[in-house]
Amino acid sequence: MKFFFQRKPVEATPGDTIASALYRDGRRIFSRSFKYHRPRGLLCVSGNCPNCMMNVDGVPNVRTCVTPVREGMSVKSQNAFPSLETDFLSATQCFDRLMPVGWYYKTFTHPAMWHAAEPIIRKAAGLGEILPTRPAEYEHEWIHTDAAIIGGGWAGIHAALTMAEHGDAIVLVDDQTALGGQLRYGKSTDAVPADAIAKLQGAANVRILQDSSCFGMYEGNLLGILQRNPHSDANERLVHLRAKRVVVATGTFETPILFPNNDLPGVMLSTGVRRLLHLHGIVPGRRAVVLGGGAVAEEIASELRAAGVEIAAVVEPREVVSARGSAQVKGIQTSNGNFTCDLIVICGPHVPNAGLVAQAGGKLEWNNDRGAFLPADLPPNVSVAGDAAGEMLPNALPPLSTHKRAFVCLCSDVSCKDLCDGIAEGFDQIETLKRYTTATMGPCQGRMCQLSAIGICAHDTGRTVAETGVTTSRPPNPSVTLGALAGPSHHPTRFTPMHSSHQRMGAVWMDMGGWKRSRYYKRHEAATESESVLLEHKSVRETVGIIDVSTLGKLDVRGRDASRLLDLVYTHRFSELRVNQVRYALMCDSGGIILDDGTISRLAEDRYFVTTTSGNLDFVHQWLQWQLVGKQWDVHICNVTAGYGAMNLAGPKSRDVLAQLADCDLSSTAFPYMACREAKISECHALLLRIGFVGETGWEIHCPAESAEGVWQRLLDAGKKFGIEAFGVEAQRLLRLEKRHVIVGVDTDALTNPYEAGLGWAVKLDKEDFVGKSLLAHAAKNQTREKLVGFILKEAGLPKDGAAIVMNGQPVGRVTSSRFSPIQNGAIGLAFVRASEAREGTSIQVRVDGKLTPATVTMRPFYDPEGLRLRQ
Amino acid sequence: MSFLLPCPHCGPRSVYEFRFGGEVTQQPPIDAPETAWIDYRFNRANIAGVQKEWWFHRSGCGQWIQAVRNTISNEVLESFLPEETGR
Repeated sequence: MKFFFQRKPVEATPGDTIASALYRDGRRIFSRSFKYHRPRGLLCVSGNCPNCMMNVDGVPNVRTCVTPVREGMSVKSQNAFPSLETDFLSATQCFDRLMPVGWYYKTFTHPAMWHAAEPIIRKAAGLGEILPTRPAEYEHEWIHTDAAIIGGGWAGIHAALTMAEHGDAIVLVDDQTALGGQLRYGKSTDAVPADAIAKLQGAANVRILQDSSCFGMYEGNLLGILQRNPHSDANERLVHLRAKRVVVATGTFETPILFPNNDLPGVMLSTGVRRLLHLHGIVPGRRAVVLGGGAVAEEIASELRAAGVEIAAVVEPREVVSARGSAQVKGIQTSNGNFTCDLIVICGPHVPNAGLVAQAGGKLEWNNDRGAFLPADLPPNVSVAGDAAGEMLPNALPPLSTHKRAFVCLCSDVSCKDLCDGIAEGFDQIETLKRYTTATMGPCQGRMCQLSAIGICAHDTGRTVAETGVTTSRPPNPSVTLGALAGPSHHPTRFTPMHSSHQRMGAVWMDMGGWKRSRYYKRHEAATESESVLLEHKSVRETVGIIDVSTLGKLDVRGRDASRLLDLVYTHRFSELRVNQVRYALMCDSGGIILDDGTISRLAEDRYFVTTTSGNLDFVHQWLQWQLVGKQWDVHICNVTAGYGAMNLAGPKSRDVLAQLADCDLSSTAFPYMACREAKISECHALLLRIGFVGETGWEIHCPAESAEGVWQRLLDAGKKFGIEAFGVEAQRLLRLEKRHVIVGVDTDALTNPYEAGLGWAVKLDKEDFVGKSLLAHAAKNQTREKLVGFILKEAGLPKDGAAIVMNGQPVGRVTSSRFSPIQNGAIGLAFVRASEAREGTSIQVRVDGKLTPATVTMRPFYDPEGLRLRQ
Repeated sequence: MSFLLPCPHCGPRSVYEFRFGGEVTQQPPIDAPETAWIDYRFNRANIAGVQKEWWFHRSGCGQWIQAVRNTISNEVLESFLPEETGR
């Protein structure tokens, strides 16, 4: 197998991780550190430390020591220029006096200084870069199971076997590429329980997620799992695993010990050395010094000897003075003499990997005998098995240091001295020390440094470790790519039945409540959007236009108590509405605040057709349902929004167009304004509402979605000789504004009542009861705070939504909508002003492009104020 | 928030399937003074502990239900179809 590192080919053998192949290839420096750009090499070889992070196929901060090699993958180094071997920014070490702990809090005391320095610091420090492209594919999966076992070592395997025998459905999550945990890289691979693994793999009720990290445990036993390489088409899969019981069998991880230059490449944890030796067949050095005592140290020494490594010495940690070397370890100074070596093996303290327990609500308590924080007070349904419980730990706490090159936190270059300085500056609680120094807050989330940081904090403040306490492990840990969290992009978009027709006519789309709507149509004769809109506007005012309004929410409300329900939730009286009549419908909440508006048509004694604004349908439907809860009323509400296409045919010639196709009398005597009829248009069933949102003679036509495009097309054909134009939302907004028709949510907000919006006529306070009656009656009796008025700008310009209204130098209101109106040949709009200024002819000023521009208030529609045209 | 909410119709479901409808309150009588209606509309008990709540099962049965939940632990003690008319 072959892959590319910095564009140069590297050979790999099957089973290799990126890091193991690079190590075999002779590479010793794998990254440059966060702050000082010090060379860093493999340390844990287990995915726990930040030292081997690289950019793999465009994804930054990949832990290469646990990422299997794929043929042809492209691997690049991070945070090093020009190369890992020679990094100019390593010169920052010489200026470390200028950059003490918390130096940017102390240095950049003025915002301007920080703004100037930030881009430079961002570039110099830190981790990988995010490419703007989407380099990988991600997917999500949801699993519900009886039990989840986190960790595929011996404890996890035994727990899975025991539970599987009871017939429980089990998901076993293991972050390695094969089950066995530490047994896989022990002295003898015979220790791996092959029979048990085969039994698990063959069990129908056991699912094994290999190469998968559990990064967090959330409420309701929800586990977040990141599965790498789930199949050839996806790089990562986020598994939402819901388990009735969770067994944490995550084992331990080994942590470094503190001495000057403990971060040099060639200083490696014993577990990392074992993994290189036994998993990858790599002899990690020629001459090694083992730091540790007793049987543990002897064991790793003998394994190294067996692999042909010369052991220069086995040294007790307290005897270490300093490691020597610049790009790599060259030797070690101890109180018993100096040794030359190219490998220092640390037998460090083992820390139970019990972060999940804390996230699940359990506690971590210091156990002095074990030298570790052990899980305690486990929540129900969560248990800990194996080394994670810490029962077998033999930890003796390692010696501490105060040296400025003895690194505690490898992620952000925090040294022992930095922690001591932070404590001296008053950050002597572990949680504040953590935040001040950023120790334990890097990509390794404290795996490597938590115990050391607590040790130093305890020692320096004269407290015990138990008193010092432990920092909180929060998810996600290990880190999760944002792409995996976001998952595949599914943005469902709704098309109206006439969508392809709009497409053909050159529609320019806008998004509205999940729907695609035509904002306007591109035409040969109109160069710009505003020209197109004016052309569409002109056709409606002078001849005829047609707009797709299928996105209106549509509810079919039936039953003996249908009118009772509508009387309750709408402010008008619908029980008195005659069959075949339409009425404007306004809905308020119990505070009298406008929720929605639309029309209600009475199709029969017990049947109403209700329309809502496009974006509010779900809310209105749920509101009606909520009002009905517990009432034994005979009423059924059916959402028929998608079942009907709808269009509004409007303009002086609309009757001539519709008459060619409709089988009913369209004259104003037979079909007056605010009437509705069920009729046929070109043999298609349709519901015609004679209403006039845009202020002209017109019909809103609802027909079954499957015939809507045909009806739309025939109306366009029939209108050709009159010069019909399809119009979009922008022209409709202008047309309705000229009529001073309010759009709920645009011209009203979360505090607007009908009296303020000029809709008081739609509120029938003499009804016995309806939602909002009490506070609407109160509002009707009292002067409103502000009122929605029209205004005409006296000079050129177009105010933006929200622009200030000013009188005598005082702000008195704000613009809610404004457009250029060809009828007025200038900007018109709606605005909220103080109620005292809401009088016809009041002179106000509107802020337009930073300039106060004179305008006049009007309380009447800008166009056809008597409403004669829509009744014609 | 990632707890399971048992829907009386659909069984235990992720809370993300639901729309939260607020605490169950008692609507004042129609002739109650304005202050009572203002209190009903704008003020909440905001209990740190067990309270009765409205939930709408948006991605399920599409029905309003009520649940008794501990707002501190998010433990749902029971859930049922609403019987009373108070809202």
